[in-house]
Amino acid sequence: MKKTLLALSLGMALPLTAVHAEISFNGFANIVAGKASSGDTQWGYDDDVDFKQDSLFAIQASTDLAEGLSATVQIISRGEDDWDTEFEWAYLAYDVNDQTRILLGRQRAPMYMFSDYLDVSYAYPWITPPEGVYDLELSTYDGLSASYNFTLGEFDSTAQLFLGSETNEIEILGTEVESEFDKIYGGSLTLNRDWLTVRAAYLTTDLSLPAPGADQLIAAWQTIPGFETIGDEATIDEEQAKFAEVGFQIDYNNWLLIGEYTHIDYEQMPLDTEESMFITAGYRFDTVLVHLTYGQDENEVNGNVNRLPFGVSPELDGLSAVTEQTFRFREQDSSYYTLGARWDFHDSAALKIEYSRRDNDLINQDTNLVRTALVTVF
Amino acid sequence: MKLLKSLTLCLCVSVSSLAAAETAIIVNPANANAISDNDISRAFLGKLKKFSDGQSIEAVNTKANSDTRVAFEKMVLKKSPAQVKAYWSKRLFTGKGKPLQELASDAEVLNFVASTPNAIGYVDASVVNDTIKVIKTL
Repeated sequence: MKKTLLALSLGMALPLTAVHAEISFNGFANIVAGKASSGDTQWGYDDDVDFKQDSLFAIQASTDLAEGLSATVQIISRGEDDWDTEFEWAYLAYDVNDQTRILLGRQRAPMYMFSDYLDVSYAYPWITPPEGVYDLELSTYDGLSASYNFTLGEFDSTAQLFLGSETNEIEILGTEVESEFDKIYGGSLTLNRDWLTVRAAYLTTDLSLPAPGADQLIAAWQTIPGFETIGDEATIDEEQAKFAEVGFQIDYNNWLLIGEYTHIDYEQMPLDTEESMFITAGYRFDTVLVHLTYGQDENEVNGNVNRLPFGVSPELDGLSAVTEQTFRFREQDSSYYTLGARWDFHDSAALKIEYSRRDNDLINQDTNLVRTALVTVF
Repeated sequence: MKLLKSLTLCLCVSVSSLAAAETAIIVNPANANAISDNDISRAFLGKLKKFSDGQSIEAVNTKANSDTRVAFEKMVLKKSPAQVKAYWSKRLFTGKGKPLQELASDAEVLNFVASTPNAIGYVDASVVNDTIKVIKTL
Protein backbone atom coordinates (compact mmCIF):
# COMPACT_ATOMS: atom_id res chain seq x y z
CA MET A 1 0.00 0.00 0.00
CA LYS A 2 2.77 2.41 0.92
CA LYS A 3 4.67 1.61 -2.27
CA THR A 4 1.58 2.03 -4.40
CA LEU A 5 0.94 5.40 -2.86
CA LEU A 6 4.46 6.57 -3.50
CA ALA A 7 4.25 5.41 -7.10
CA LEU A 8 0.94 7.19 -7.36
CA SER A 9 2.20 10.48 -6.00
CA LEU A 10 5.39 10.29 -8.03
CA GLY A 11 3.37 9.38 -11.09
CA MET A 12 1.17 12.37 -10.49
CA ALA A 13 4.08 14.67 -9.80
CA LEU A 14 6.51 13.76 -12.55
CA PRO A 15 4.78 14.75 -15.77
CA LEU A 16 3.72 18.04 -14.22
CA THR A 17 6.97 18.95 -12.52
CA ALA A 18 8.46 19.37 -15.96
CA VAL A 19 6.25 22.43 -16.21
CA HIS A 20 6.11 23.63 -12.61
CA ALA A 21 9.29 22.05 -11.26
CA GLU A 22 8.72 23.37 -7.80
CA ILE A 23 9.09 20.88 -5.00
CA SER A 24 9.65 22.31 -1.56
CA PHE A 25 11.57 20.39 1.05
CA ASN A 26 11.28 20.87 4.78
CA GLY A 27 12.25 18.76 7.71
CA PHE A 28 12.37 18.34 11.43
CA ALA A 29 14.42 16.36 13.90
CA ASN A 30 14.19 15.40 17.55
CA ILE A 31 17.28 14.09 19.31
CA VAL A 32 16.19 12.73 22.67
CA ALA A 33 18.26 11.12 25.41
CA GLY A 34 16.61 9.51 28.40
CA LYS A 35 17.36 7.40 31.44
CA ALA A 36 15.07 5.78 34.01
CA SER A 37 15.97 5.46 37.67
CA SER A 38 18.06 2.50 38.74
CA GLY A 39 16.40 -0.87 38.07
CA ASP A 40 13.29 0.74 36.55
CA THR A 41 11.69 0.95 33.14
CA GLN A 42 9.37 3.73 32.08
CA TRP A 43 7.87 4.62 28.69
CA GLY A 44 10.42 2.49 26.81
CA TYR A 45 13.48 3.59 28.79
CA ASP A 46 15.53 1.57 31.25
CA ASP A 47 18.36 2.63 33.51
CA ASP A 48 20.92 2.92 30.69
CA VAL A 49 21.11 6.21 28.81
CA ASP A 50 19.16 5.72 25.59
CA PHE A 51 19.23 7.96 22.53
CA LYS A 52 16.96 5.88 20.32
CA GLN A 53 13.54 5.64 21.94
CA ASP A 54 12.17 9.08 21.00
CA SER A 55 14.73 10.33 18.46
CA LEU A 56 13.70 10.87 14.86
CA PHE A 57 14.53 12.63 11.61
CA ALA A 58 11.90 13.64 9.06
CA ILE A 59 11.82 15.13 5.59
CA GLN A 60 8.75 16.47 3.90
CA ALA A 61 8.46 17.14 0.19
CA SER A 62 5.47 18.87 -1.27
CA THR A 63 4.54 20.21 -4.63
CA ASP A 64 1.73 22.35 -5.91
CA LEU A 65 0.15 20.83 -9.00
CA ALA A 66 -2.02 23.91 -9.59
CA GLU A 67 -5.80 24.25 -9.64
CA GLY A 68 -6.12 23.25 -6.01
CA LEU A 69 -4.20 19.99 -6.30
CA SER A 70 -1.05 19.29 -4.30
CA ALA A 71 1.01 16.26 -3.33
CA THR A 72 2.87 15.80 -0.06
CA VAL A 73 5.06 13.05 1.32
CA GLN A 74 6.65 12.97 4.75
CA ILE A 75 9.16 10.28 5.63
CA ILE A 76 10.42 9.64 9.13
CA SER A 77 13.35 7.60 10.41
CA ARG A 78 12.84 6.62 14.02
CA GLY A 79 15.57 5.50 16.40
CA GLU A 80 13.00 3.26 18.04
CA ASP A 81 12.70 1.28 14.77
CA ASP A 82 16.48 1.11 14.26
CA TRP A 83 16.18 4.14 11.99
CA ASP A 84 13.99 2.34 9.46
CA THR A 85 12.36 4.90 7.21
CA GLU A 86 8.58 4.97 6.92
CA PHE A 87 6.05 7.09 5.11
CA GLU A 88 4.03 8.91 7.74
CA TRP A 89 2.15 11.04 5.25
CA ALA A 90 1.78 10.45 1.50
CA TYR A 91 -1.27 12.11 0.11
CA LEU A 92 -2.84 14.10 -2.66
CA ALA A 93 -4.78 17.11 -1.47
CA TYR A 94 -7.50 18.79 -3.40
CA ASP A 95 -8.77 22.20 -2.32
CA VAL A 96 -12.34 22.28 -3.54
CA ASN A 97 -12.52 25.92 -2.40
CA ASP A 98 -11.09 28.08 0.40
CA GLN A 99 -13.11 26.15 2.97
CA THR A 100 -13.00 22.56 1.84
CA ARG A 101 -10.03 20.27 1.41
CA ILE A 102 -9.97 16.60 0.56
CA LEU A 103 -6.98 14.38 1.36
CA LEU A 104 -6.49 11.03 -0.28
CA GLY A 105 -3.72 8.68 0.81
CA ARG A 106 -1.69 8.03 3.90
CA GLN A 107 -2.35 10.60 6.61
CA ARG A 108 -2.68 11.20 10.33
CA ALA A 109 -5.71 9.88 12.18
CA PRO A 110 -6.89 13.13 13.85
CA MET A 111 -7.73 11.45 17.12
CA TYR A 112 -5.91 13.72 19.51
CA MET A 113 -5.33 17.45 19.84
CA PHE A 114 -1.68 17.02 18.81
CA SER A 115 -2.19 14.18 16.30
CA ASP A 116 -1.57 16.30 13.22
CA TYR A 117 1.93 17.25 14.33
CA LEU A 118 2.54 14.39 16.73
CA ASP A 119 6.23 14.07 15.81
CA VAL A 120 7.07 17.76 15.45
CA SER A 121 8.34 18.27 18.97
CA TYR A 122 9.29 21.86 18.06
CA ALA A 123 5.57 22.65 17.81
CA TYR A 124 4.61 21.82 21.43
CA PRO A 125 5.97 22.29 24.96
CA TRP A 126 6.85 18.73 26.04
CA ILE A 127 9.42 16.37 24.53
CA THR A 128 6.56 14.08 23.45
CA PRO A 129 2.83 14.59 24.10
CA PRO A 130 1.84 12.92 27.41
CA GLU A 131 2.35 9.16 26.95
CA GLY A 132 -0.74 7.86 28.69
CA VAL A 133 -3.16 9.69 26.44
CA TYR A 134 -1.06 9.32 23.30
CA ASP A 135 -0.36 5.59 23.53
CA LEU A 136 -2.89 4.10 21.14
CA GLU A 137 -1.21 2.13 18.36
CA LEU A 138 -3.08 4.03 15.69
CA SER A 139 -1.53 7.26 14.48
CA THR A 140 -1.66 7.16 10.69
CA TYR A 141 -4.06 5.44 8.32
CA ASP A 142 -4.65 4.95 4.63
CA GLY A 143 -7.83 6.48 3.37
CA LEU A 144 -9.82 9.57 2.73
CA SER A 145 -10.59 12.69 4.72
CA ALA A 146 -12.46 15.89 4.14
CA SER A 147 -12.00 19.02 6.21
CA TYR A 148 -14.16 22.07 6.24
CA ASN A 149 -13.10 25.45 7.66
CA PHE A 150 -15.75 27.87 8.78
CA THR A 151 -16.33 30.62 11.30
CA LEU A 152 -18.71 30.00 14.15
CA GLY A 153 -19.37 33.35 15.77
CA GLU A 154 -15.88 34.56 16.63
CA PHE A 155 -14.32 31.11 16.34
CA ASP A 156 -12.24 29.80 13.46
CA SER A 157 -13.50 26.26 13.20
CA THR A 158 -12.49 23.09 11.42
CA ALA A 159 -14.65 20.02 11.01
CA GLN A 160 -13.05 16.88 9.67
CA LEU A 161 -14.50 13.54 8.60
CA PHE A 162 -12.31 10.56 7.82
CA LEU A 163 -12.41 6.92 6.89
CA GLY A 164 -9.80 4.30 6.14
CA SER A 165 -7.80 1.41 7.51
CA GLU A 166 -4.38 0.69 8.94
CA THR A 167 -2.10 -2.23 9.75
CA ASN A 168 0.67 -1.91 12.26
CA GLU A 169 3.30 -4.19 13.80
CA ILE A 170 2.98 -4.14 17.56
CA GLU A 171 4.59 -6.07 20.35
CA ILE A 172 2.45 -8.01 22.77
CA LEU A 173 4.02 -9.94 25.61
CA GLY A 174 7.28 -10.12 23.69
CA THR A 175 5.81 -11.27 20.35
CA GLU A 176 5.45 -9.10 17.25
CA VAL A 177 1.96 -9.32 15.80
CA GLU A 178 0.24 -7.39 13.08
CA SER A 179 -2.61 -5.31 14.39
CA GLU A 180 -5.36 -4.35 11.98
CA PHE A 181 -7.58 -1.33 12.28
CA ASP A 182 -10.35 -1.84 9.74
CA LYS A 183 -13.36 0.32 8.99
CA ILE A 184 -12.02 3.41 10.70
CA TYR A 185 -14.80 6.00 10.68
CA GLY A 186 -14.44 9.24 12.54
CA GLY A 187 -14.81 12.94 12.82
CA SER A 188 -13.34 15.85 14.74
CA LEU A 189 -14.26 19.43 15.46
CA THR A 190 -11.80 22.16 16.48
CA LEU A 191 -12.77 25.69 17.52
CA ASN A 192 -10.14 28.38 17.93
CA ARG A 193 -10.38 31.98 18.95
CA ASP A 194 -7.40 34.08 19.88
CA TRP A 195 -6.03 32.36 23.03
CA LEU A 196 -8.59 29.56 23.31
CA THR A 197 -8.82 26.27 21.41
CA VAL A 198 -11.35 23.52 22.15
CA ARG A 199 -11.61 20.22 20.37
CA ALA A 200 -13.50 16.95 20.28
CA ALA A 201 -13.06 13.77 18.25
CA TYR A 202 -14.84 10.47 17.88
CA LEU A 203 -14.02 7.33 15.93
CA THR A 204 -14.95 3.70 15.69
CA THR A 205 -12.80 0.94 14.26
CA ASP A 206 -12.77 -2.83 13.94
CA LEU A 207 -9.68 -4.11 15.67
CA SER A 208 -7.89 -7.41 15.09
CA LEU A 209 -4.89 -8.50 17.13
CA PRO A 210 -3.94 -12.05 16.24
CA ALA A 211 -2.78 -13.95 19.31
CA PRO A 212 -0.65 -16.98 18.56
CA GLY A 213 -2.65 -19.96 19.70
CA ALA A 214 -5.93 -18.07 19.77
CA ASP A 215 -7.78 -20.91 18.06
CA GLN A 216 -6.59 -23.40 20.67
CA LEU A 217 -7.61 -21.00 23.41
CA ILE A 218 -11.13 -20.71 22.01
CA ALA A 219 -11.38 -24.46 21.42
CA ALA A 220 -10.15 -25.25 24.93
CA TRP A 221 -12.67 -22.95 26.64
CA GLN A 222 -15.49 -24.28 24.48
CA THR A 223 -15.08 -27.66 26.12
CA ILE A 224 -15.59 -26.24 29.62
CA PRO A 225 -19.24 -25.89 30.61
CA GLY A 226 -20.16 -22.39 31.73
CA PHE A 227 -17.03 -20.82 30.28
CA GLU A 228 -17.63 -21.28 26.57
CA THR A 229 -17.48 -17.57 25.78
CA ILE A 230 -14.21 -16.85 27.62
CA GLY A 231 -12.16 -17.95 24.61
CA ASP A 232 -13.96 -15.53 22.33
CA GLU A 233 -13.49 -12.68 24.77
CA ALA A 234 -9.80 -13.43 25.15
CA THR A 235 -9.20 -12.97 21.44
CA ILE A 236 -9.44 -9.81 19.38
CA ASP A 237 -10.82 -10.51 15.94
CA GLU A 238 -12.64 -7.69 14.17
CA GLU A 239 -14.07 -6.40 17.40
CA GLN A 240 -15.32 -2.87 17.58
CA ALA A 241 -13.56 -0.16 19.58
CA LYS A 242 -15.08 3.28 20.15
CA PHE A 243 -12.81 6.21 20.86
CA ALA A 244 -13.81 9.64 22.15
CA GLU A 245 -11.62 12.63 22.93
CA VAL A 246 -12.06 16.16 24.27
CA GLY A 247 -9.32 18.71 24.76
CA PHE A 248 -8.61 22.38 25.26
CA GLN A 249 -5.67 24.77 25.07
CA ILE A 250 -5.41 28.20 26.61
CA ASP A 251 -2.43 30.32 25.61
CA TYR A 252 -3.02 33.62 27.38
CA ASN A 253 -0.21 36.14 27.63
CA ASN A 254 2.57 34.10 29.19
CA TRP A 255 0.33 31.42 30.64
CA LEU A 256 -0.36 28.09 29.04
CA LEU A 257 -3.00 25.59 30.11
CA ILE A 258 -3.62 22.37 28.17
CA GLY A 259 -5.92 19.49 29.02
CA GLU A 260 -7.08 16.38 27.23
CA TYR A 261 -9.26 13.41 28.09
CA THR A 262 -9.77 10.19 26.13
CA HIS A 263 -12.17 7.32 26.64
CA ILE A 264 -12.18 4.03 24.73
CA ASP A 265 -14.84 1.31 24.91
CA TYR A 266 -14.02 -2.17 23.68
CA GLU A 267 -16.65 -4.71 22.74
CA GLN A 268 -16.07 -8.41 23.36
CA MET A 269 -12.40 -7.93 24.07
CA PRO A 270 -9.97 -8.62 26.91
CA LEU A 271 -10.07 -4.88 27.59
CA ASP A 272 -13.22 -3.22 28.72
CA THR A 273 -12.48 0.52 28.89
CA GLU A 274 -9.44 2.81 28.77
CA GLU A 275 -9.55 6.25 30.29
CA SER A 276 -6.68 8.72 30.18
CA MET A 277 -6.29 12.39 30.94
CA PHE A 278 -3.61 14.98 31.46
CA ILE A 279 -3.47 18.61 32.40
CA THR A 280 -0.48 20.86 31.78
CA ALA A 281 0.16 24.33 33.15
CA GLY A 282 3.05 26.41 31.92
CA TYR A 283 4.53 29.87 32.18
CA ARG A 284 6.77 31.56 29.64
CA PHE A 285 9.72 33.60 30.91
CA ASP A 286 10.84 35.23 27.66
CA THR A 287 12.55 32.35 25.77
CA VAL A 288 12.08 29.78 28.53
CA LEU A 289 8.83 27.90 29.10
CA VAL A 290 8.44 26.02 32.37
CA HIS A 291 5.63 23.48 32.59
CA LEU A 292 4.09 20.95 34.94
CA THR A 293 1.86 18.06 33.85
CA TYR A 294 -0.35 15.72 35.84
CA GLY A 295 -1.77 12.66 34.11
CA GLN A 296 -3.87 9.59 34.92
CA ASP A 297 -4.36 6.34 33.03
CA GLU A 298 -6.86 3.68 33.92
CA ASN A 299 -7.42 0.63 31.72
CA GLU A 300 -10.04 -1.82 32.94
CA VAL A 301 -10.13 -5.40 31.79
CA ASN A 302 -13.17 -7.48 30.87
CA GLY A 303 -14.93 -8.40 34.11
CA ASN A 304 -14.87 -12.11 33.23
CA VAL A 305 -11.18 -12.21 34.10
CA ASN A 306 -12.25 -12.38 37.74
CA ARG A 307 -14.43 -15.43 37.11
CA LEU A 308 -11.68 -17.59 35.62
CA PRO A 309 -11.77 -21.06 37.21
CA PHE A 310 -8.60 -21.29 39.26
CA GLY A 311 -7.95 -24.21 41.63
CA VAL A 312 -10.18 -26.77 39.92
CA SER A 313 -7.47 -28.76 38.16
CA PRO A 314 -3.83 -28.13 37.16
CA GLU A 315 -4.78 -28.17 33.46
CA LEU A 316 -7.51 -25.60 33.99
CA ASP A 317 -5.19 -23.48 36.11
CA GLY A 318 -2.70 -23.42 33.23
CA LEU A 319 -5.37 -22.38 30.76
CA SER A 320 -6.71 -19.74 33.17
CA ALA A 321 -3.22 -18.37 33.73
CA VAL A 322 -2.57 -17.96 30.01
CA THR A 323 -5.98 -16.36 29.56
CA GLU A 324 -5.53 -14.02 32.49
CA GLN A 325 -2.19 -12.88 31.09
CA THR A 326 -3.92 -12.16 27.78
CA PHE A 327 -6.67 -10.23 29.51
CA ARG A 328 -4.34 -8.16 31.61
CA PHE A 329 -1.68 -7.18 29.09
CA ARG A 330 -2.83 -3.56 28.90
CA GLU A 331 -4.42 -3.25 32.32
CA GLN A 332 -3.32 -0.05 33.97
CA ASP A 333 -3.97 2.17 36.93
CA SER A 334 -1.34 4.82 37.18
CA SER A 335 -0.66 8.51 37.51
CA TYR A 336 2.35 10.67 36.79
CA TYR A 337 3.84 14.11 37.16
CA THR A 338 6.17 15.68 34.62
CA LEU A 339 8.14 18.83 35.32
CA GLY A 340 9.80 20.29 32.27
CA ALA A 341 11.34 23.28 30.58
CA ARG A 342 11.74 24.37 26.99
CA TRP A 343 14.36 26.93 26.01
CA ASP A 344 14.13 28.53 22.56
CA PHE A 345 17.83 29.24 22.29
CA HIS A 346 17.91 29.49 18.50
CA ASP A 347 15.67 30.64 15.61
CA SER A 348 14.83 27.08 14.59
CA ALA A 349 15.78 24.96 17.55
CA ALA A 350 14.81 24.42 21.15
CA LEU A 351 16.32 22.55 24.06
CA LYS A 352 13.99 20.63 26.36
CA ILE A 353 14.47 18.86 29.65
CA GLU A 354 11.92 16.82 31.60
CA TYR A 355 11.64 14.84 34.78
CA SER A 356 8.72 12.41 35.12
CA ARG A 357 7.61 10.42 38.11
CA ARG A 358 5.07 7.70 37.55
CA ASP A 359 3.14 5.80 40.25
CA ASN A 360 1.87 2.42 39.15
CA ASP A 361 -0.93 1.54 41.57
CA LEU A 362 -1.37 -2.01 40.25
CA ILE A 363 2.08 -3.17 41.29
CA ASN A 364 2.62 -0.40 43.81
CA GLN A 365 5.77 0.86 42.18
CA ASP A 366 7.16 4.31 41.49
CA THR A 367 9.51 4.95 38.59
CA ASN A 368 11.43 8.06 37.56
CA LEU A 369 12.59 9.18 34.15
CA VAL A 370 14.79 12.06 33.01
CA ARG A 371 14.84 13.08 29.37
CA THR A 372 16.50 15.83 27.46
CA ALA A 373 15.90 16.79 23.84
CA LEU A 374 17.22 18.98 21.09
CA VAL A 375 14.41 19.68 18.62
CA THR A 376 14.60 21.55 15.32
CA VAL A 377 12.70 22.44 12.18
CA PHE A 378 14.46 23.18 8.92
CA MET B 1 14.56 38.30 41.74
CA LYS B 2 15.17 36.75 38.32
CA LEU B 3 11.51 37.25 37.48
CA LEU B 4 11.77 40.89 38.49
CA LYS B 5 14.84 41.29 36.34
CA SER B 6 13.29 39.79 33.21
CA LEU B 7 10.14 41.81 33.87
CA THR B 8 12.07 45.09 33.94
CA LEU B 9 14.00 43.94 30.91
CA CYS B 10 10.76 43.32 29.02
CA LEU B 11 9.44 46.69 30.03
CA CYS B 12 12.60 48.44 28.86
CA VAL B 13 12.56 46.61 25.55
CA SER B 14 8.96 47.40 24.77
CA VAL B 15 9.34 51.02 25.88
CA SER B 16 12.45 51.49 23.79
CA SER B 17 10.92 49.84 20.71
CA LEU B 18 7.86 52.04 21.08
CA ALA B 19 10.01 55.10 21.39
CA ALA B 20 12.26 54.10 18.52
CA ALA B 21 9.74 53.29 15.83
CA GLU B 22 6.12 52.84 14.94
CA THR B 23 4.86 50.13 12.65
CA ALA B 24 2.38 50.87 9.88
CA ILE B 25 0.11 48.17 8.46
CA ILE B 26 -0.34 48.89 4.78
CA VAL B 27 -2.48 47.83 1.83
CA ASN B 28 -2.73 48.82 -1.81
CA PRO B 29 -4.46 52.24 -2.33
CA ALA B 30 -7.08 50.47 -4.46
CA ASN B 31 -8.10 48.32 -1.49
CA ALA B 32 -11.23 49.79 0.09
CA ASN B 33 -12.00 46.91 2.44
CA ALA B 34 -12.58 47.53 6.12
CA ILE B 35 -10.41 45.15 8.10
CA SER B 36 -10.61 44.72 11.86
CA ASP B 37 -7.65 44.18 14.19
CA ASN B 38 -8.70 40.57 14.65
CA ASP B 39 -8.85 40.05 10.88
CA ILE B 40 -5.38 41.55 10.44
CA SER B 41 -4.06 39.01 12.92
CA ARG B 42 -5.96 36.17 11.21
CA ALA B 43 -4.68 37.23 7.78
CA PHE B 44 -1.06 37.05 8.96
CA LEU B 45 -1.70 33.61 10.50
CA GLY B 46 -3.14 32.27 7.26
CA LYS B 47 -6.59 31.81 8.80
CA LEU B 48 -8.35 34.57 6.89
CA LYS B 49 -7.97 34.01 3.18
CA LYS B 50 -10.20 36.70 1.63
CA PHE B 51 -10.97 40.39 2.07
CA SER B 52 -14.63 41.23 2.57
CA ASP B 53 -14.98 42.01 -1.16
CA GLY B 54 -13.89 38.48 -2.02
CA GLN B 55 -10.32 39.18 -3.21
CA SER B 56 -7.82 36.67 -1.85
CA ILE B 57 -5.41 38.09 0.72
CA GLU B 58 -1.70 38.09 0.01
CA ALA B 59 0.03 38.88 3.30
CA VAL B 60 3.80 39.42 3.23
CA ASN B 61 6.39 39.36 5.99
CA THR B 62 9.68 41.13 6.30
CA LYS B 63 12.85 39.26 7.23
CA ALA B 64 12.72 37.01 10.28
CA ASN B 65 13.94 38.69 13.46
CA SER B 66 13.95 42.19 11.96
CA ASP B 67 12.85 44.80 14.54
CA THR B 68 9.72 45.63 12.55
CA ARG B 69 8.66 41.99 12.33
CA VAL B 70 9.35 41.16 15.98
CA ALA B 71 7.35 44.26 17.04
CA PHE B 72 4.52 43.39 14.64
CA GLU B 73 4.29 39.79 15.83
CA LYS B 74 4.35 40.85 19.45
CA MET B 75 1.69 43.55 19.10
CA VAL B 76 -0.63 42.11 16.47
CA LEU B 77 -0.20 38.35 16.69
CA LYS B 78 0.65 38.49 20.42
CA LYS B 79 3.31 35.86 19.89
CA SER B 80 7.09 35.67 20.25
CA PRO B 81 9.19 34.78 17.17
CA ALA B 82 9.56 31.22 18.53
CA GLN B 83 5.79 30.88 18.97
CA VAL B 84 5.18 32.13 15.44
CA LYS B 85 7.74 29.65 14.14
CA ALA B 86 6.08 26.82 16.08
CA TYR B 87 2.70 27.89 14.70
CA TRP B 88 3.90 27.73 11.09
CA SER B 89 5.68 24.42 11.75
CA LYS B 90 2.29 22.95 12.69
CA ARG B 91 0.69 24.27 9.52
CA LEU B 92 3.60 23.27 7.30
CA PHE B 93 4.04 19.71 8.53
CA THR B 94 0.33 18.99 8.36
CA GLY B 95 0.15 20.35 4.83
CA LYS B 96 -2.28 23.06 5.93
CA GLY B 97 -0.25 26.05 4.82
CA LYS B 98 3.12 27.52 4.07
CA PRO B 99 4.74 30.39 5.94
CA LEU B 100 4.12 33.77 4.33
CA GLN B 101 6.36 35.11 1.62
CA GLU B 102 9.32 36.97 3.17
CA LEU B 103 10.66 40.14 1.59
CA ALA B 104 14.13 41.43 2.39
CA SER B 105 13.42 45.02 3.42
CA ASP B 106 10.81 47.69 4.13
CA ALA B 107 11.41 49.11 0.65
CA GLU B 108 10.57 45.76 -0.94
CA VAL B 109 7.40 45.43 1.13
CA LEU B 110 6.42 48.95 0.11
CA ASN B 111 6.98 48.20 -3.59
CA PHE B 112 5.19 44.87 -3.38
CA VAL B 113 2.10 46.33 -1.68
CA ALA B 114 2.09 49.35 -4.07
CA SER B 115 2.03 47.02 -7.07
CA THR B 116 -0.21 44.21 -5.74
CA PRO B 117 -3.91 45.08 -5.33
CA ASN B 118 -4.63 42.25 -2.83
CA ALA B 119 -1.47 42.59 -0.70
CA ILE B 120 -1.16 43.45 2.96
CA GLY B 121 2.10 44.14 4.75
CA TYR B 122 3.71 46.20 7.46
CA VAL B 123 6.67 48.59 7.46
CA ASP B 124 8.39 51.01 9.77
CA ALA B 125 6.09 54.05 9.83
CA SER B 126 8.96 56.37 8.86
CA VAL B 127 9.15 54.95 5.30
CA VAL B 128 5.45 55.30 4.48
CA ASN B 129 4.65 57.23 1.26
CA ASP B 130 1.56 57.77 -0.90
CA THR B 131 2.04 54.68 -3.12
CA ILE B 132 0.32 52.66 -0.39
CA LYS B 133 -2.49 53.10 2.12
CA VAL B 134 -1.94 52.90 5.87
CA ILE B 135 -4.82 51.10 7.60
CA LYS B 136 -3.38 51.09 11.09
CA THR B 137 -0.38 52.40 12.97
CA LEU B 138 0.97 50.62 16.01
